[in-house]
Amino acid sequence: MEKFHNIGTSTDWLVMVVYFAVIMLFGSYFGRYNRSTKDFFFGGRRFTWWLIAFSIVATGVGSHSFIKYSAKGFEHGFSSTMTYINDWFFIPFFLFGWLPIIVYTKIRSIPEYFEKRFSPSARFLATILLMFYMIGYIGIGFLTLGKAALPLLPESFTLLGQTFSITLMGTIIVIAVITGIYITFGGQTAVIFTDLLQGFILLFSGFLLFFLGVSYLGGWDTFWNILPVEWKLPLADFNKPSSFNFVGIFWQDGVAGSIGFLFMNMGLIMRFMATKSVDEGRKAAAFNILFMLPLSAVVVGNAGWVGKALSLVDPDLVPPNTSPDQIFVVVANIVALPGVFGFIMASLTAALMSTVDTLINATAAIYINDVHRPLKKYIKEKIVTQKVTDKRELFAARVASVVITVLGVVSVLAFKNFPTVYEAHGYFHSTLTPPLVIAIFLGIFWRKFTPAAVIASFVGGVALMIIGATYPGILIAPFDHGIEMNQSHPYSYIRALYNLFVCGLVAVTITYTTKWQRNTIETLKAKANHKNIMAGLTAASVVMFLVVVSGISMGIGQDNILGIWLLVLLTFVMIFLVALSVTYYVKYDEHTNTDGLTVWSITKAKELFKGGKLNEKEGKKVSVKFKMKEGEDDTINFSQKDMQTMAAEVGDLVYLSDARAYLGGLKSIHSVFGEPHDDDGIVYINEEQFMTGVFIKTRRLIAEKEM
Amino acid sequence: MPPFSHTWLPFIYLYGVGGIFFLIGMIIIRKSGAINLKKKRHKYWYRVLIFGFIYFVIFHAFFIIAALYW
Repeated sequence: MEKFHNIGTSTDWLVMVVYFAVIMLFGSYFGRYNRSTKDFFFGGRRFTWWLIAFSIVATGVGSHSFIKYSAKGFEHGFSSTMTYINDWFFIPFFLFGWLPIIVYTKIRSIPEYFEKRFSPSARFLATILLMFYMIGYIGIGFLTLGKAALPLLPESFTLLGQTFSITLMGTIIVIAVITGIYITFGGQTAVIFTDLLQGFILLFSGFLLFFLGVSYLGGWDTFWNILPVEWKLPLADFNKPSSFNFVGIFWQDGVAGSIGFLFMNMGLIMRFMATKSVDEGRKAAAFNILFMLPLSAVVVGNAGWVGKALSLVDPDLVPPNTSPDQIFVVVANIVALPGVFGFIMASLTAALMSTVDTLINATAAIYINDVHRPLKKYIKEKIVTQKVTDKRELFAARVASVVITVLGVVSVLAFKNFPTVYEAHGYFHSTLTPPLVIAIFLGIFWRKFTPAAVIASFVGGVALMIIGATYPGILIAPFDHGIEMNQSHPYSYIRALYNLFVCGLVAVTITYTTKWQRNTIETLKAKANHKNIMAGLTAASVVMFLVVVSGISMGIGQDNILGIWLLVLLTFVMIFLVALSVTYYVKYDEHTNTDGLTVWSITKAKELFKGGKLNEKEGKKVSVKFKMKEGEDDTINFSQKDMQTMAAEVGDLVYLSDARAYLGGLKSIHSVFGEPHDDDGIVYINEEQFMTGVFIKTRRLIAEKEM
Repeated sequence: MPPFSHTWLPFIYLYGVGGIFFLIGMIIIRKSGAINLKKKRHKYWYRVLIFGFIYFVIFHAFFIIAALYW
């Protein structure tokens, strides 16, 4: 496979350095809007839909990167767009299920939802799995960044008489340091605004590259007619080759990936939580999937399509055996002038950094919410003021960002031996998302789903997934839809179907046997030594898990199929023991633990969010000037007439923002309607609200009732 | 002409199996009351959801036909 080095000129490098400096300064400017961890992580829940929709482009495009889609575009054509255009199936669940729940329950992380919906132990396991998922995702981002930068660099350099080779891991470490510095001081508002700028630049440079490529080939007709029919089809062949087939990618990306992306990706979820209301979040999500993702699919894949056409027209210019992960850089260098190439490369790497820094920010949020705070509570740290706590947490969040960056770099080692980034990402999604996907999904939409079922599906699901990964020819093969098993990377994509199936099977089986579990526990509790019996059963389940894992590593089942089924049987016995232990130890009330936490009680969630009865009368927005008021009263006061226009009552929630729409809600606050006064067109706010909204004294504000 | 396994079979599978997931989602959000069609705004969103599904069906069908016959 042909690999390239030293691509680009000094002009390109100059453009790249300037671009990065501008982006970092731009991001740092918005760091001043962080007044607390709430602002650092969620941007203060204030932005309008279009700002979030465009800022998501850089995150989405970065994670589903130029490198991997150009590689598949080069190898297989327009079907590289598949994964960008298969997310709509789960959008009803997201827009009217998960999105209102995460906003109205005011949860700050997914594991926190698990504690409210199930139990602290479910939160603990979810935190572990989610941290693995997020850090792995960061690792994939770093791997892609390294692969993008490597062709631009020389093979080695000399310093003080010593020659140093430039390696993939070395490049990744340098990139990680730059990313870490930026995210540590920026926070979520900085990320949103940097991504907004980069979203526009990415779309522009992606289409610029496509235009330059097609022009280089001699126009659209030439480009279209050069490509073989197979390259022009939008969906891949149903089940071949094993490295890129429709059905495997449907289950890996269209199902596990889509649910993972919409329901588990804290980076993306935090963006939606940064919108000013649920309806704005819905608009941002729908607009993104309907319009921005198809455009992004063209932006990220077109270098591969142009590369394929160039390799057919002039195989000396683009050899057909060019390393697929390098095709983007190779094509950009051929069709763009010096300087323009630098600009395209800078926008690509900056977009990838956006993805990585969003993920680092999100993982730090999980750390603060699900490790730092519970730990402080557990060790009963001396109570200090909210201001001091916030300051300490902000510092801890910054330290966590650095540590997470380092762990992300280390996780690259798990993925760097895959032939392409695409396959590494596919394997990652198929393996890490199913237990959490099943748990979150059933938690939101199935009231009967119990803590015993969720914990059993975490533990048992992982055990069955490990057995499946070890013996794919026996266990995953029945799900393969005719895909040939690649011995070095067996069933990279379709294993998602097996993994979803086993986790789902455990979840459903344990939920439907809840009555039996409760009866068994009642019978046990009648015995005098029930505590000892339960401790013994719990210990037995731990031993069984260890036996299954060590049995696999010792090669049980390597030569006889009976051994495999014995491991599966042992796993199911363990699953039932886990379920009994959870039923015994965890206090769970179906009504309390599901109220406002599932799709079946969204209105209740809304009432809990407001803290009172809902006022859903439709009102109008009003334009007002603000005046300062003394005291620490947190409500804001409008005139009687203005409140009537908004159809608002005392105690309702209100959103107040700078009247300039193009700011997208950057200068805004949420508050509560206080007692009215008689000065029409005037709103009274306090010092803290003035500071949080970063309002300007001469500017008018727009007010609207939320609920 | 590419085989059926590369043209319409993936399309049928995508919108058949994907369509089942979509339909289940629509039924659950309606039955649970999460979407309330008596509200003007929710009625708008319900139409957007159906439009999105049809939009992607047409999108893929158009590109398959373009690849094969254009």
